[in-house]
Formats: sequence, structure tokens, C-alpha cells
Amino acid sequence: MKSAAIVDPPPLDRAEELFQNHQQEIYRNTDRLFARLMLFQWAAGIVIALLISPRTWAGSTTEVQIHVWAAIFLGGAITLFPVWMTRVFPGSVATRHVVAVAQMLMSALLITLTGGRIETHFHVFGSLVFLSFYRDWRVLIPATIVVALDHLIRGVYWPYSVYGVLSASPLRTLEHAAWVLFEDFFLVVSCLRSVSEMRAIAKRTAALEASEQSSRQIFEEAPIGMALVGLDERFKQANTSLCEMMGYSEQELTERTPLDITHPDDVGSSKGLAHAMLTEAAPSSVEKRFIRKGGDMLWATRTATVIRNETGKPRHYLVMVEDISKRKHAESALRDSRRELESAHHAKQLIMDNSQDVICTIDELGRFVTVSAACEQLWGYTPAELVGRQYIEYLVHPDDHASSKTVAADLRAGRKVTGFVNRNTRKDGAIVDVLWSLSWSESDRIVFCVAHDVTERARIEKALREAKEDADRANMAKSEFLSRMSHELRTPLNAILGFGQLLERQSPSETQKKRLGYLLGAGRHLLNLINEVLDISRIEAGNLQLSLEGVRIEDALAEALDLMRPMAEERNIELSTPAPLDGECFVRADRQRLKQVLLNLITNAIKYTGAGGKATISYERLGTNAIRLGITDTGAGISPDKLARLFTPFDRLGAEHSTVEGTGLGLALCQRLMQAMEGSVGVKSTLGEGSTFWIELPITDSPLTVAALRKSESLNRENGATAGKRTILYVEDNLSNLMLVEQMLADQADIELLTAMQGRLGFDLALQHLPDLILLDLHLPDLPGWKVLEQLQRNAATCRIPVVVISADATQRQIDRLLAAGARAYLTKPIEVAEFYRVIEDMNSVAEETEVAAA
Amino acid sequence: MQRRHRLILTATVFAIGWALTIALGSRALLNYESAAGTVSAVPKAWPASQVPLANDRPTIVMLAHPHCPCTRASVGELAQIMALIHGKATAFVLFSKPANVGSDWDDTGLRSSAAAIPGVTVLSDPDGAEARRFGAETSGHTLLFAADGRLLFSGGITPSRGHAGDNAGESAIISLVENRTPERAETLVFGCSLPLEDHTGSPTLASK
Repeated sequence: MKSAAIVDPPPLDRAEELFQNHQQEIYRNTDRLFARLMLFQWAAGIVIALLISPRTWAGSTTEVQIHVWAAIFLGGAITLFPVWMTRVFPGSVATRHVVAVAQMLMSALLITLTGGRIETHFHVFGSLVFLSFYRDWRVLIPATIVVALDHLIRGVYWPYSVYGVLSASPLRTLEHAAWVLFEDFFLVVSCLRSVSEMRAIAKRTAALEASEQSSRQIFEEAPIGMALVGLDERFKQANTSLCEMMGYSEQELTERTPLDITHPDDVGSSKGLAHAMLTEAAPSSVEKRFIRKGGDMLWATRTATVIRNETGKPRHYLVMVEDISKRKHAESALRDSRRELESAHHAKQLIMDNSQDVICTIDELGRFVTVSAACEQLWGYTPAELVGRQYIEYLVHPDDHASSKTVAADLRAGRKVTGFVNRNTRKDGAIVDVLWSLSWSESDRIVFCVAHDVTERARIEKALREAKEDADRANMAKSEFLSRMSHELRTPLNAILGFGQLLERQSPSETQKKRLGYLLGAGRHLLNLINEVLDISRIEAGNLQLSLEGVRIEDALAEALDLMRPMAEERNIELSTPAPLDGECFVRADRQRLKQVLLNLITNAIKYTGAGGKATISYERLGTNAIRLGITDTGAGISPDKLARLFTPFDRLGAEHSTVEGTGLGLALCQRLMQAMEGSVGVKSTLGEGSTFWIELPITDSPLTVAALRKSESLNRENGATAGKRTILYVEDNLSNLMLVEQMLADQADIELLTAMQGRLGFDLALQHLPDLILLDLHLPDLPGWKVLEQLQRNAATCRIPVVVISADATQRQIDRLLAAGARAYLTKPIEVAEFYRVIEDMNSVAEETEVAAA
Repeated sequence: MQRRHRLILTATVFAIGWALTIALGSRALLNYESAAGTVSAVPKAWPASQVPLANDRPTIVMLAHPHCPCTRASVGELAQIMALIHGKATAFVLFSKPANVGSDWDDTGLRSSAAAIPGVTVLSDPDGAEARRFGAETSGHTLLFAADGRLLFSGGITPSRGHAGDNAGESAIISLVENRTPERAETLVFGCSLPLEDHTGSPTLASK
């Protein structure tokens, strides 16, 4: 207790506070009583004086009796000061003592005014009693002193007035005092008892207050809702929790009855409860639903009891409401969960009983705990035969023991295992491949397993693997075949087209020109066919290499139109070019492939439009992200049933019976190229009116800076090309091809051509002459072209010389390989003359840059 | 706080003034009440009075002013004496009456009170002739004569002016009537001056 007092000082003694308040109230009330009493006494004194002795006589003359003046003035003097004190210092000690003195003085005055009537002396004793109303025995002291002094002073100075004799005995004074003290004694005892009772009352009141405070605090701060409900069943008082619970303010609740906020379904059962409680001693408790202010439902436990007064008469009900919504929800969830659990258990049992896979559990020692019925089908054992058995030792093939134990260890380390396959030995001795899905439960210390027989699947997978290997080999063979076929077909075509073109440049006669036209036309058709077959093959194999960049669509179209205009003129087809686009438009595409698609579509428009027809090209911007280029012809159109087959390879839709040449690969190739460039191709056609083929491509940013740089570089190269004579070494075993290149470079006075028909010779010439450019065939008699390239790259003297491979092998894989090995460019046979010249120019520029860098 | 100090100071000043006022007022009042009236030469034996002297018992004679308020206490004390002596004395109360007043001038409550005392005879004393005979000048002056006419007691029977209560005069009369020796045979008289006319005539006592 002592330490507690040091740490936490006790609060103000409420009982003492109440006592002091009560005492002060008594002091003030008694002050007011005396204030009125004294004023009354004053008035009474005046009245008495006027009635008893208004005038005094001296013979036959009369005047106002001094008692009248004494009553007015002395009485006033005695009265007014204490009355003033009671107003200014109510309840103070000084006031009480002044009142006591004044009251006793007033007694003396009244006794005087009444002529010393014995009855008036009772005023003294009455005043003492009145003073005891203060319940402060100390006020009796000044009162008694005043009485004593009155007697003492008058006894000394006016003894006749007190004792009727001129010299009184002290015993008379003592007798007078004794009577006063006698009364004082009882009054003091009475005051002390009264004070003691007041203290007891204060203590009881403090205890009651504390109890009420506790009750109020419990009521107000209770975590459950509490309310007092009157016998008229209206809320009288509600605590904060209940208000918050119900959403009503206390004022709103007091305007309602509990039934008003009861769920309609529970009103019937709640109606009789209040009356039933009046006859039952025990509190009633029910679970019921309330309707909150917002309209939502609240599940609660409502406990109610009757509060009775001391006579047992009911005063009101105490209602306690506990929100059990969460519990109800939890119970509901639990019920649902149980149902789900039962369903799950039922489902699990169904699965266990009917699953084709084995579902089992294995304890941490590796023994079966439960096994589904499917085990008989997988392992040939019944569940009863397996439960309690060590799985690995009993079923797993000895060669798979180690891996199975590792998996078991991984599982216990918390890993989940799926897709683990091991071999098991069936009861009949057969080996089965089993796929496992395993999960370790740390809480149950158990492994949940699903075992699936994958013996058949493993067999099929093996067969598939072998089939794929066969297919891969076949594909390789096909690629090899295409490569060889391409080479074998292109090599003679190279000579045919090359020399045909050279002859065209040598001013042939009209007849020769016509024949050369047939020759070159047939050769180009054959070359196109080969190219398209190869392209289709590349696309389908996923080997098509695209160089996607920003291409100005008008440039690509212009290039295609330049090429196609002669053909259109020849066939008397009006080729209508579109109006320039509003601003430059770049599409993301491979320039060559885009041009290839455009050429294909324009060619089709020209080919399938009769003489005098028209092919119109137009642009249409599709928002800001794409553009459509359409080619509309006035041909025969395509029937709807054929449109679906339009992009099928080799399906010419009956055109094969017409005079129109074609391979049936063009549109198929267009579609695949557009798809590869993230664009699309489409058609709409009206039979008898014509068709519109269109392509759509995504718009991209202008590569102006790059273009400007490239242009600058190109100019630089052109300027440098004229600086001196260049040497080109051509390594080729085919004489016609050698002659073709010699012819093509014959007009180039600044170029000296060196040739070699063998690889080693070519390498030696390269070392000896250090040419500016090496043209290299791959199929050489002594050394493959790629070996020559490798030697050139290894040698420090020749490693900087640009090498251009010229080969009939147009497979992408070959091109990529050679470019990766160090070739600067790869030209396919038959050689396109224009491309050849461009590559020669580019390589010259590179050579010059190399020289400058070396210098 | 300052206001409270001022109030306390004011209260203190008031208290001092109050005490002084009460002391002075009380002193004045007590002085008035304690101021004894004058007494002239009292005859040692029954004078030549028209009041008859009882020959078988003592005779008490009180001279009174019918309007004197102080004498009310004396009449009260007389009533007490008469009650105590049980008829062992005859008593007369003589109310002095000036000549120039109306007949009912002495018809006062005091006279009625005196008349109501058993054994007391109330008489009017025109011009205070009897008063002068008995040597009384102050209302309430009481004399006790023995049956043989000797003066046994002379003085007031109140402790102070108009104040009832135990007093030496009352005790003395009772003692004398009871044939005991009193402490005193004379006391001071407290009361109004009697209306005594200065002439030689002999007015007749009258009863109402």
C-alpha cells in the first residue's frame, strides 16, 4: 500500500469532499436562516417595544420610551452587521461566530425590551438551539461567552439589573452559567453526533456514487450493447455500444421499442418475452435478429432481466445485446465448410474409387498409408496388400531406387515434385513406367501422391521422338535437295540469262531480239518459279530472313511501276498511278520483299486485265498507324466461291487452262510475305467488273537521318571510285560463268579482272595481287569455296579484302553461314546484272575506306 | 483576491464599529434601566392616609403611574408576591392622577392588570396626595406596613427599570410577611416619576 501511495497518489477523498460540501451547504442554509431570523427579531423587538413600552412618563409629561430607540437602533446595529456577513461571507467561520454573538445580543435586547419576562429568557436557550443548527459546536462558544460576559459585566457594573441586588453572589453567576453550559453540553453532543452522522452519510453517498459511477461506466463503456427498457417496453436509456450496433442515436432509440427494431420474422417469438420475464426470476437469453437503421440485419444475443425495487416491484428491464453476426457468419461458413468437406470427402472417395490414376498417401518412413483401388490395375496389388509396405523397396525397380530416394528427400525438404517418372515392378513381374505428382504435408507428415501409368505414353513418346528424327532427317534431305536443285537449275540458267542479256546489249536484229526475248522470258519464268518455290519453302520452314526498316511506300511503288510500265504498255493496259500522299509515309517492311509483293500484284492486274483495260493504284490511310495500298483492275473478277482458294499455293483457280502464264505461287507468296512483315493482303472482287487487291502495312517513323547518312556515304564512295584502277579476282570453275563476268566487266575500264578456276590458285592469286575485291564461287574442284574464304580470313594480308560469294545455292542457311564466315555479300546465280554492278560498286567503296583506314 | 481582501478589511472595520456601537448602545440602555428614581422622606409609621390599614395583617401599598411602562414589571412582581404570601397581607395600588386630566386618564391596562391581582385593591390617587403621604416620588414604589402601622419595607420590587425578575425588594416583602428577617428593608425604586401636584388639599381616594 505504501509503495502504491508513492507511485500513484490517492485521489481526493470523495467522502470528505461530500461531507465538506454538505457541511458548507448547512452553514450557508443556517446563515440564511439566521439572516431572516434576525431581521424578524429586529422587527419583533421594535413591535414589542412599541406595544409594551412605547412611551415613558415623568409625572404627567411623556416622551418616547428609550426601549423604542433601543429596539430600532441597537436592534438594527445588532442585526444588520451579521446579516451583511451572511450575504458577503456565507458559510464562513467568521459569519457563524458573528451570528452567534449577535443572536445572543439580540436575546439580551429582547429580554430588556420585554421587561425581563422569564419567558423571554427562553430566547437565549432557543438561540443556542438555533445556533446548533450549524452543527458546529464551536459557535456555541462565542454565544456562551456573550451570555457570560453579559452577566459578568452587568453583574460588575449593574448588578441590580441582573440579580436585583447591588452585590450579587458569584454563585448566581455560576448558576446562570451552569444552565447555559448544561444546554451547551447537550447541544455540543448533538452537534458532534450530527457531524458524525453527516460523515457516515457522506461515506455512504460516496460509496453509492462510486457504485453508481461504476455501474454507469460499466453501462456506458460495456463492449456489448446495454439498454434500460421501461415496463411500457420503450427504451429509456441505451449505451454507446448499442447505439453503434443498431445505427440509431440514443434519442432515436428512446422513441422506439425493442420490437420496432426486431427482424419481422422474430417479432412473434419476442412479443411474449417481456411479460414472461416479469413472472420469472431468471434472466432470459435468446438469439434473434435486429434490423439496423440502414436496413441491414444484425444477429445478436439478447439477454434481459427485470430490475426490481427493494419491495420487489419491477422498475424496468435491463437488456444486453451482443453482436454475434461474426459468429453466425462463422457458423454458416463452418456449415458450408463442413458441407464442402463432406462433398470433398465424397468426391475424394469417388475419385479414389474410380480414378484411373493411383491416389495414395505415404508416411515419412516411406510406407503406404492409403491406396486407391486403381493400384490393382497399375501394380497388380490390392490396396490391402500395399498398405504398410515400403514403397521403394517393394515396388520401385532397383535401378531407380537412388533417384526415388532423392525425390523423397526433396519432398521432405518442402519441395513439390511433379513429372517424376520411375519404373515399378508389377506383381506379375512386368515393368511399368509411373509418372508421379507428389506433395509433402508438413502438418500431417505425409506425402500425397498421384501415380499415373505412363508406360504407353512413354512408348508413344519414344515413337514420336524417332518419327521426329526421321522427319528432321527428311527435312534436311529436302533442304539439301532444294539447295542442289536450285544450284543445278540456276547454273545453266545463269549462262542462259547472262549471255542472253549480253546479246541484248550487242544491238541484235529485230528477229534476234525477238528470239532473245523468248529466251530471256522463258529463262526468267523458270528462274521466278525456282525463286518462288524456294521462298515458299523458306517461309514454311521459318527460315525467311527479313530486313525490316522504314521504307517510303511511294518509292517502293515507283520502283515497281518503273519495272511494270513496259509490260503494261505492251499489253495496252492503262496503269494509273495514285496521287501523291499528303506528306511522306514510311512503312515498316523489307524493301525488296515489299517490292516483290507489289510487282506480283501489279503483274497479276496487268495479266488478268484485257487489252484496253485499266489498273488503278490508290492509297488509303487507316488512321495514323497503317496504310492500305490497293490495285484495282477492270478484269473479269473472281467469283466468291473461288476467293477462298485465292491464296492457296499452286491453285490457279482455273487459269491454268487459259493463256495467262503463272505458277500459282504468287499470291500465296504475297500473303506469307505480308504476314511475315506484320502486314496483310486481301481482295475484294465483283465478277465481271474487276478486282481490288490490297496490302496493309504498319506506318513507322521516317528514317531521314539514316537515309541522309547513307546518301552521304554513297556520294563519298562514288567520288572515291574514280581515284584509281581496281583489281577484282573471280574464283569460278565454270567457264561460261567466268566469261559472263568478264563480259559484264569488260566495259569497266578502271577494273582489272583476275580469274582462277581452282580454290588454291585463287588464294595464291589473292596473296600475290591483293585484289580490291574477290568474287568467289562455292563449288570448286580442289577446295570448297567456304575453305578458300576461311583461308583468306585467316591470313593477315587478305583478311581485309572484301569477298562476294556468287553461288547457285540460294538456301538461307548457306547464305547465313557464308556471311557469318566473313563474306561481305552473297549473289545468287543466275546473276542479276544490275545487282551485280551495284555490289561491285559497293565493294569498291568499302575497299577505298579500308585503304584510307590502313593509311 | 484584492476584492476579497477589501471585503475582509471592510468586515473587520464593520465588526469593530459594530462592537463599539453595541457596547455604547447597551451601556446607555443599561444606564437608563439602572437609574433609580428619587425617594423622599418615607414615614416610619402608617401616615394619615385615606387608605385603610389592615389591623390583622401587614398592608402593602404600591404607588404607581398609570402610564408608566416600567411599572408593568412592578405590578407583575406584586402579583407574584401576592401569589406567594397567600393572602397574608392586604395590598393597595394607588395610581396617581393629575387634577387636570380626564376621568379615564388612569383607566389603563396597567391598572386593569393590577386590579386583576387577587387581594389587591386598586385606587386612584388624585393629584398624588397619597403618594406624597407615603413619601413616594417614583412609580412602583412599594411599602409594607405591619398591622400596627410600623413601616417594614420601602423600595422597588424590580431589579431594574421595567425589568422583571428576582429582586431584593420582592424577597424582602415575602420574608417580612412570612415573619422572616429580610436581607434588606429598603431597595432602589426603578420607574417613572409620579405626577405629584404641589397643593395642600386633600383629594379623596377613589376606586373604579
